[in-house]
Amino acid sequence: MNEAAPLPEAAVVAEKLTKRYGSLTAVEDLSFSVAPGEIVGFLGPNGAGKSTTMRILSGTMSGTSGRATIWGVSVALDPAGAKRHLAYMPENNPLPEDLRVEEYLTLRARLKDVVPSRVDERVRKVMDDCDLTRRASGRLIGQLSKGFRQRVGIADALLAEPRVVILDEPTIGLDPHQILGIRDLIRSLRGKMAVLISSHILHEVEQVCDKVVIINRGRLVAQGRTEDLRRELLPEVSFTLVTRSDEAALLVACRAIEPAASVAALPSADGWSTFRISLPTGSPARETLAGALIAAGISLREIAEDRFGLEDIFLAATRRTPGESRRS
Amino acid sequence: MRHFRTLLAHELRSAALSWNTWAAGGLFLALMGGIHFFALIEASRAPSDRTPVESTLWFFWLPLLCVLPLLTMRTFAEERRSGTLAALLTTPASATAVVWAKFLSTWIVWVVFWLLFTVFPLLTVQRLGTPGDTRLGDPSILWGGLCFIAISGLLHVAIGILCSCVTRSSALAALLAFICLLAMTAAGGAMESLPIESWEWLGWLREPAAHLRTFGHLQDFAAGILDSRPIVLYGTGTLLCLGLAVLSVEGQE
Repeated sequence: MNEAAPLPEAAVVAEKLTKRYGSLTAVEDLSFSVAPGEIVGFLGPNGAGKSTTMRILSGTMSGTSGRATIWGVSVALDPAGAKRHLAYMPENNPLPEDLRVEEYLTLRARLKDVVPSRVDERVRKVMDDCDLTRRASGRLIGQLSKGFRQRVGIADALLAEPRVVILDEPTIGLDPHQILGIRDLIRSLRGKMAVLISSHILHEVEQVCDKVVIINRGRLVAQGRTEDLRRELLPEVSFTLVTRSDEAALLVACRAIEPAASVAALPSADGWSTFRISLPTGSPARETLAGALIAAGISLREIAEDRFGLEDIFLAATRRTPGESRRS
Repeated sequence: MRHFRTLLAHELRSAALSWNTWAAGGLFLALMGGIHFFALIEASRAPSDRTPVESTLWFFWLPLLCVLPLLTMRTFAEERRSGTLAALLTTPASATAVVWAKFLSTWIVWVVFWLLFTVFPLLTVQRLGTPGDTRLGDPSILWGGLCFIAISGLLHVAIGILCSCVTRSSALAALLAFICLLAMTAAGGAMESLPIESWEWLGWLREPAAHLRTFGHLQDFAAGILDSRPIVLYGTGTLLCLGLAVLSVEGQE
């Protein structure tokens, strides 16, 4: 780990970050933070400004306005100082094709100010951690599969034991086994490094991250723990049930126990009907719904509460983006 | 510049292992070997004011235009295209260190090519010459000419590096370098051949034209005349080009 220094309140701070390309605004007034040792998922649809934000934070691109700090060091005012605390793996993970994995990591370790006497040790450690030692250490990077190239990128990010790691789509193009491996690796960083990770695989983010930041069209639309966002963005709970009763009878039965309930028909087969019943999150009927429906004479074959995942939160958050008309 | 030595060692190693360097080296030696061979044939046919070595060095512009762009074209253009330059700049290494490391490694390769060329005239003298006879090539002319090529090479390589910084296409970088080097080499000669003295409104060009006479510099160096003005010209030109290259690398987004 880097030399002992006072622990900042936030490892990464983005404050009113804005990036404009002429009349096009890629990122606008974006503010969020990542605490030391925290793993944060950075989500947004294609073109939302995730990579632009990550590039500004990593110092490879300057913002139009706003402030970005890494471990308390301003990226704009002291880029070299900020880079000493940071490792960044860009989206397409560009690597030199004509170097062997070990040579590449050794070069990167030297450029990242790893103490010369520890370079070999650190290279061996990250190669072991990323499962590169046995199958890839002596091979040219140009001959590696996509999965191993991603591992080389992550090994590079971990080389200098940075305070902050920014990974832009680290699992893109990987098979399920490789994704599991990378996910475990990222999970192992919890508490040791602050990790900001962007990914399209929401299930993966939900499993790995402590917190999510969701942006759409360059603006922040939600941030916080998944549970908190679920409560904030999804004010209803819903149940799917399969029955022989019709919609009208079902609606009457539901409204009898919860006046705000609604019923929607879903595609069904085999003579059975499938419905979705929605109730307000805080409704007491949530716990007594099945019993109340049976008591009201509704025949039930199945009833289950729908589980809203990060995907639903993401969809709800990105739908509520404000200020569409302000953007060119 | 803390990482300069690490980057320079990496660049030299990459250059030594690159097919591009070997191809450029092969082309260079074939060109210069061929020119020297024909200079020897020509010298054997009729007496001449110039030795074969002088005649060969006079054609320094040919590898300068055909080989040097091949060495410089990939330095930044290829790294920008593949994105490895951006990845390199995420480390604490500065753009200045990156530019100087690439510049110096390319210059070293360029000088090594010319040192390899000396095998031709030295072998010729050893095999065909007689002691004390300098008709096949006076060593002082050879080393003086090589000094010119090494010093002017600083600017030539810096121009090639700058051209490679401004585009993502290696082919375009080579073409840009070719045009710039051609303009620079030809400019002095063109100025000299124009009757500037008779055009009053072009009188102000007389002084700069005198400084740009590339072939005159070669002649002076080969004759052992060490003039500080071309050294200042090539030195400041090099610093200017490399400064612009650093700005270009820092500004890439």
